[in-house]
Amino acid sequence: MLSIDQSRTDLCEEFKRTPFGRHSADLHRLLDLMRWGFARGKTIILCTVPHKEWHLAKFGPRRGTPMQIDRSGTFHRYEDAVWACFRARWKEMTGRDCPVE
Amino acid sequence: MSERLLAYTDKLSVKPGELVQVKVSSPHAGAYRARLVRLICGDDSENGPGFKVAAVAGATESQLPARFQPIPCGSYAAIKDRKGFALASFSLGAFIWPTRLDKAEAQCILGNWDATSSSGYALYLDGDGHLAFRVGAGAPTVLAETLLSRHWYRVAASFDAKSGRATLAAQRLLPYGHRPQRHVAKGKAKPSAAANRFLIAAWNDGDEAAAHFNGKIDSPTIFAKALRIEALLTPPGTRGAPAARQAVAAWDFSRDISGTSVIDRGPRRRNGQIVNLPTRAMTGWNWDGSELNWRHKPEHYGAIHFHDDDLYDCGWATDFSLRLPKTLRSGIYCIHLTQGALEEFAPLFVCPPKGKATAKLAFLVPTASYLAYANHQMETSWHFDELSSAKFTTLSLADQFMEEHVSLGLSTYDLHNDGSGVCHASRFRPILNMRPKTDLWQFNADTHITDWLEAKKIPYDIITDEELERGGLAALKPYTCVITGTHPEYYSERMLDGVQDYTNQGGRLMYLGANGFYWRIAWHPKLPGVIEHRRSEDGMRAWWTETGENYMAFTGEYSGLWRRNGRPPNMLCGAGFTAQGFDVSGWYDRMPGSRDPRAAFIFKGVAENEKIGDFGSIGGGAAGWELDRADVSLGTPPHALILATASEFPASYHWVKEEFNHAHSAVNGDTCPMVKADLVFFETPKGGAVFSVSSISWAGSLAHEKYQNNVSRITENVVRRFLDPKAL
Repeated sequence: MLSIDQSRTDLCEEFKRTPFGRHSADLHRLLDLMRWGFARGKTIILCTVPHKEWHLAKFGPRRGTPMQIDRSGTFHRYEDAVWACFRARWKEMTGRDCPVE
Repeated sequence: MSERLLAYTDKLSVKPGELVQVKVSSPHAGAYRARLVRLICGDDSENGPGFKVAAVAGATESQLPARFQPIPCGSYAAIKDRKGFALASFSLGAFIWPTRLDKAEAQCILGNWDATSSSGYALYLDGDGHLAFRVGAGAPTVLAETLLSRHWYRVAASFDAKSGRATLAAQRLLPYGHRPQRHVAKGKAKPSAAANRFLIAAWNDGDEAAAHFNGKIDSPTIFAKALRIEALLTPPGTRGAPAARQAVAAWDFSRDISGTSVIDRGPRRRNGQIVNLPTRAMTGWNWDGSELNWRHKPEHYGAIHFHDDDLYDCGWATDFSLRLPKTLRSGIYCIHLTQGALEEFAPLFVCPPKGKATAKLAFLVPTASYLAYANHQMETSWHFDELSSAKFTTLSLADQFMEEHVSLGLSTYDLHNDGSGVCHASRFRPILNMRPKTDLWQFNADTHITDWLEAKKIPYDIITDEELERGGLAALKPYTCVITGTHPEYYSERMLDGVQDYTNQGGRLMYLGANGFYWRIAWHPKLPGVIEHRRSEDGMRAWWTETGENYMAFTGEYSGLWRRNGRPPNMLCGAGFTAQGFDVSGWYDRMPGSRDPRAAFIFKGVAENEKIGDFGSIGGGAAGWELDRADVSLGTPPHALILATASEFPASYHWVKEEFNHAHSAVNGDTCPMVKADLVFFETPKGGAVFSVSSISWAGSLAHEKYQNNVSRITENVVRRFLDPKAL
């Protein structure tokens, strides 16, 4: 799997259910693909209140430039931010919305 | 842009009664409050023991005026003499290996140009990466062709005051087909014989240095007349090249490689000093692979690699001084500053008075490892960071600040702006990840140990890596038992000798972490508070050294893994780095070694079939993040007992790369039997002993269930027995 299969809603459901720890081989491959390469340019997570609040964000074009923080969604559980990041990466890589809400 | 109150101190490792100078910078005017607190636990997460500080008797709280202090990062060399460079006619020459041609800002190679007064002269790269030459306020002469990154060039410029003729040239040392090797440009200018400060790898902007160069410079030279370009492009020392004895200055960077001076081999000895520690012992234009150790052929190592983000010392003015009470108990302290919603903690490691141990137990605080990780920005330096951590990049507010403010200096885990690896890390700057209330890694994770010692009312002294480097064995000898931090990864030879001598002479060592004693570092022979590391040859490397640059400039020692230097960690502590992963942690199962009568004291009060450490605040288990393995072939003593082993890890855990010599897929927790952690015990000569937990997350389990758990019990069993002077 070196591309994302839009029909694999099962992998989305699995990650949403278990964002950390042991994953199926197909989900592991999907996550490796999403995580390949530099994070600059991709959606990442910024903890805006320690242990309590997270937002999606992006680095600026290079060090020394402001980060872009997506204030449209605020997360109060890290797992929720991770799931939102997964969905954002899915869209960045496929051009289509992640099939699982 | 994010903002922070920032502070650092002139010392990190201190003793009661010492004077500490505190340097502070605030983004806001007004006042901040300052107090000294004893730090017990810095973990403010919901799953940990909680953030705990204690007031210090006799220490008063102060209110002080706030001010902003800039950080002048970027390395260069400054020449003391000025008048000798106030020249009407002159020629400049150097070899350069540029690394950041896309910077979009000027990068000066050498000259005394001052941007504030538009006076003097400079040979430089312009914002488009073209070689350029300027004299006075006139238009610069610029080569039409761009240079190639990471290629050696001989560059030269000459100016004749009488005719006003300026000539500029670059010659690439590698010949390529379909590309001219030499480029020349001519222009006109008016003389500007100003007595400005002469700099290499930067120019003046008033009293500041600016236009920092990125890349290597070798053999910069200046002559007091306009020489023919042909002569200037001829390598020094070869036929047709102008002689050094005719030079205004001809610097030889292969001299004093371990020091801070740049030596002029010309007749007038116009020496200078490097600023902000550029990297020395770099392969030069003439390096041919015939020698890999710069000490054996220094003439091939005449290059210095300068970076616009090098930083040794912020150089801030002192805002206030603090005299530590003479009766201050040894421990970790912080200068706690608050200004409105802004908060800063500058840590101080208070050791006991010299020669006066106040406890039988010493906590050896791994300050060298704290420096190695200081202000790391792996999230942007590494193309493999998410694959290594098995997480989407998640930044803290401190990470955000470092990303948005380039000047705080980097860690040995990072890449410079030009993509080259960072070799130096100093403590003369605010270190945002050496603070309480940060990620549970290094400093903050180690406060789980101080928290546990306080909870168990076990008296202890603090000894730092700086004290170990200074005193060697003598720093540890007063103690019956020494415990390490969770990740004492970076060791100099003197530090390693000190700990090895300690266990060989009857000392008891509790290694409460993993991936310790792994990388070889050096402390600077003259400058305080800075380490050097080269990521040589092998290991779990953040970056790798260029070929021929594995030997450290500070000492000439071969850097890289201690394992590749003949001293695997297993020799000292019975276990060595074997795997890592950062999403979940595991637990240990007891092994036959735990039933050996020699180990009975360790498991007192632990049931026969208990899982050990299937709980904790770091990944949910005591075996996690980084793991060590016992291996007799790597130096684990043959009589060592493997007490327990953790082996259930997901595919996000990876075997260390120095152990597989050919690529294959069976390298993770799902597939590789080397992904495990061994709890190890063995006796050493003269009644000493070693206990190793082989996991970074062990200490994160100590406080579980109010310190009533089997990780805490085992740790307490060992420390109390190790403090008993009776031979093991």
